[in-house]
Amino acid sequence: MDARLRRVNKEITDCKNDKSSNIRIELVGDSPFHLKGSFPGPQETPYEGGNFDVDIVIPDSYPFQPVKMKFITKVYHPNISSASGAICLDILKDAWSPVLTLKSTMISLQSLLCSPEPNDPQDAEVAKHYMTSKASFEETARYWTEIYAGGPGSKAGKGVSIGVRDEVAIAGLDPQHVTRFESLGFPRGQVIDVLRRLNYRGANVPKITDDRIVEELLKA
Amino acid sequence: MSSDYEYSDDDGDYYDDEEMIDGTQDDLSGASEDDMDMDVYGGDDFKVTPKGKRKSYEVDYDSLSQSAVEKLVKEDVDYICSICGVDESVASLLLRHMKWNKERLVEKYMDNPTSLLVAAGVTAPEPTTTSAQSRTRSIDGSASRRSTRGATRILALGGSKTKSPTTSPPLSHYTPRSFKPKSDEPFVCPICFDDSSDLRTLALDCEHTFCSGCWNAYLVSKIRDEGEHSVKCMAEGCALVCPDPFIRTVLVPAPGAPIGDPTQEEDNRKAWSHFQELLVRHYVASNKRLKFCPYPGCTNTVSCPSAADKSSLTTIVPTVSCGARGIGGQMTQSQSQSGWGLTGKEHKFCFGCHIESDHRPVVCSVARMWLKKCRDDSETANWIKSNTKECSQCQSTIEKNGGCNHMTCKKCKHEFCWVCMGPWSEHGTAWYSCNRYDEKAGVDARDAQSRSRASLERYLHYYNRWANHEQSAKLSLDLYAKTEKKMEDMQITSSLTWIEVQFMKKAVEEVERCRMTLKWTYSMAYYLAKGNEKDLFEDNQRDLEKAVEDLSELLEGPIEPENIPMLRQKVTDKTVYVQKRNEIVLEDTAKGFLEGRWKWNASVEGFDEPERTEY
Repeated sequence: MDARLRRVNKEITDCKNDKSSNIRIELVGDSPFHLKGSFPGPQETPYEGGNFDVDIVIPDSYPFQPVKMKFITKVYHPNISSASGAICLDILKDAWSPVLTLKSTMISLQSLLCSPEPNDPQDAEVAKHYMTSKASFEETARYWTEIYAGGPGSKAGKGVSIGVRDEVAIAGLDPQHVTRFESLGFPRGQVIDVLRRLNYRGANVPKITDDRIVEELLKA
Repeated sequence: MSSDYEYSDDDGDYYDDEEMIDGTQDDLSGASEDDMDMDVYGGDDFKVTPKGKRKSYEVDYDSLSQSAVEKLVKEDVDYICSICGVDESVASLLLRHMKWNKERLVEKYMDNPTSLLVAAGVTAPEPTTTSAQSRTRSIDGSASRRSTRGATRILALGGSKTKSPTTSPPLSHYTPRSFKPKSDEPFVCPICFDDSSDLRTLALDCEHTFCSGCWNAYLVSKIRDEGEHSVKCMAEGCALVCPDPFIRTVLVPAPGAPIGDPTQEEDNRKAWSHFQELLVRHYVASNKRLKFCPYPGCTNTVSCPSAADKSSLTTIVPTVSCGARGIGGQMTQSQSQSGWGLTGKEHKFCFGCHIESDHRPVVCSVARMWLKKCRDDSETANWIKSNTKECSQCQSTIEKNGGCNHMTCKKCKHEFCWVCMGPWSEHGTAWYSCNRYDEKAGVDARDAQSRSRASLERYLHYYNRWANHEQSAKLSLDLYAKTEKKMEDMQITSSLTWIEVQFMKKAVEEVERCRMTLKWTYSMAYYLAKGNEKDLFEDNQRDLEKAVEDLSELLEGPIEPENIPMLRQKVTDKTVYVQKRNEIVLEDTAKGFLEGRWKWNASVEGFDEPERTEY
């Protein structure tokens, strides 16, 4: 039998048999080379209580080349793109070793959620947020977990019960700031956009003058 | 063909007609045979630079074949072996790790051999206490994670000290024991999960054991797909690098080994030779004095110490040749004789930049600026404009398809000069004013609009002439074919022998070479600041251009049997003259660079800022 197929089949079986790790891997279609993995958000983190889905593609030269993984669930994390779910993790690139398995890679993703690496970001805006105010970042990450990953705050599961998703909270901004600039006559979406881009949070707030923000708002 | 400078130098003087008959053929075949000998069979360091005194527009260089570079590599390895007292494979890994900087290597090795050996992936570090620390989060110890640091990781490999403090200490997150084959349990390869009892297993010193099939697939994938010459152990986080003998054992079957899958064997063989090439490439790339021949399929290397320093590129134009000819450098003597067209071309290139085979006399930075200007989108329209022209009498659109500038309109028979578009009758023998743009004509342009038009026209002037020579050089293949035909005709219609008609071929080659020079002189003239130096430069340029066009016309003209002796005399004289003029241009320009005589009208990389001048 093809070594790659044998290996992938064994990995899938191993994962099924191992109940302790909480990692699930299932087939997306008929091919064993396109999979969907999922794991619970690690405890004592803003991601706790959420369930995170990962898209897994096994390349032809697996296991000698790394698997391709990206988050299906939206995650607010410095090393994960908030738009595409792309992951910045060394073992998925040049630090890959053929000894690593799907399970161990998923565990690595789980532990990436525990300890972000904001100095080496995939999503620069999120990383900036993390650096300026960790508390505010965690609040936003928790909110994302809640609405996208079915975290504890959501009442009846997948965030359905929350009527309107709070755009301000998604962007990790202070509602007061948004309202202040909105009252100047700028559209809400634009205000959120500019404030997020300028990282108008925590210790940064006194550093950015209102003029600067208005200037940016006028440019947009 | 090989450089004419080469043998004209030996003769001490330029040919007169007598020598053309008696000496040339000997020189021709002699020189080229020598060249070919060296190209094809030479594995040693050899000089292909012209013997005797070096011209000021030439640089000293050596051409090295792959085996010659391998020999240099071996020398370095042996040196390290003897100094550090390590074996060959270790020395090779150390050198690769230190980017072939022997001095730094020895220094570092003497300072702390263990840390260097660890950093180069030769030995595993002593087990540190970190491995004993319990990793609270990770579940099976494999969950090391750190985010990628893209390009910086490469740096981290090179200068191992730049490890980020956030990275977990290497090797702290795997347990070597788990991979060790236990004698009482059957071995299962941790990668492919194969547990056959006849499995061949391999491991580096770290004892991470895997089956040979996985090692094989891994090495082939690393070498072929990633072009990696320092392949690490397959175990996660293990920094040990596979030494060359190990790779050889895996990829090259031992003599007498059972014959495996033929496609697999072929892949392995290719990977092994690719690996050796990668080593040579790494060595060459790490050494500023060396450069790979850029011609497709060529594996030669050129060593040019005088151009190793970037700052030297403002004073010299390091045109070099790797010594091979043709595609892949596989041309043999007979092939290059039968088709002396582009296929048998010498592998000439510039050591200092990637632009063109030979951009003498102008230095790299100016040539680069010029080409960039020509490529700019804003000039596209001009380019189209300059490739075709209208007959100044009947306005038919004309595209030039031959080398000579003396044009005759097919439709109205109007004779004119392709360069200045003036009637040819004014050109014939009188003063040839075609190579200069009369800048005084632009004096009346006072307002900004007309000044911008003047600058555009100025550019177009130089560009037209530049493109004209480029076009002619491109058509040289045609000219070769035509000339060859003429030479055959001559042998039939007159009593001249094959040897005696070679003057035509020589003339064609000379014209092509001079057109290359002329082409680049226009890019130089465009950037030269106004003044006496520029006037002198353009005088030389004009003389060369005039001579080249004259010779070119002689070659293109029809051949009457009765005129052959006279034509031969004329062509030979002109060839010598053209050659001399070309030398003057090259020599004078090169000297100017050495003396720092040239001043520019724009800021050129590596030169002082120009004083503000009007064009």
